Amino acid sequence: MPIIVNLDVMMAKRKMSAGELAERIDITPANLSILKNNKAKAVRFSTLEAICRELDCQPGDVLEYVRDGEEGG
Amino acid sequence: MELKWDKTRSLTLSRILTAAALAVAAAALFCIPVAAQWYDAVSERAPIYVQLTTCLYLTDLPVLLALWELLKMLSNIAAQKIFVSGNERCLRVISWCCFAVAAVWCVLGFWRKLAFFVAFIAVFAGLIVRVVKNLVAMAVTLREENDYTI
Repeated sequence: MPIIVNLDVMMAKRKMSAGELAERIDITPANLSILKNNKAKAVRFSTLEAICRELDCQPGDVLEYVRDGEEGG
Repeated sequence: MELKWDKTRSLTLSRILTAAALAVAAAALFCIPVAAQWYDAVSERAPIYVQLTTCLYLTDLPVLLALWELLKMLSNIAAQKIFVSGNERCLRVISWCCFAVAAVWCVLGFWRKLAFFVAFIAVFAGLIVRVVKNLVAMAVTLREENDYTI
């Protein structure tokens, strides 16, 4: 998947745990884990909005486009 | 006492009928030579004992496999696992079993023209199962997309 979710970086910057973020944006820790581990197929605008609100960031801070073949390099 | 019909009972009936068909197909393995002998006795045409016995044995194996896969799929449905890749695989195996039966009966058609009709029915059943398999495959993709939309 060429869209990478950099949620870990922003969570570390804001010193927020996964459990706390999941509670604040009203999703289950299991779903947050899917999102963090780049297993998600799509993100709802409402979820993205909640993430940006709670982490005080822009969508571009948590989402990154990487061309195929560049991942992990 | 009023007997109410519902989805669970319908599913149970399907499982019982499939299991019974599986048992009949398994028992048929032991009766094939007798059935072929009987056919030759009642048929007024040239005997085809060897061809018919071979054909029936080669038919019974895919039939057993198809019924087994059907039983597995019904168990999945009973466990609320409906749009899963396991069911797609079951349907794919069943459709190939139908095509295998069609191929066997096509060969028998060289001795008895009526066998082509059986082959046609098997191909038709295989095609229908294949279309259903494609539908389930699409539903599996949609369900996964839905499950992984956060």
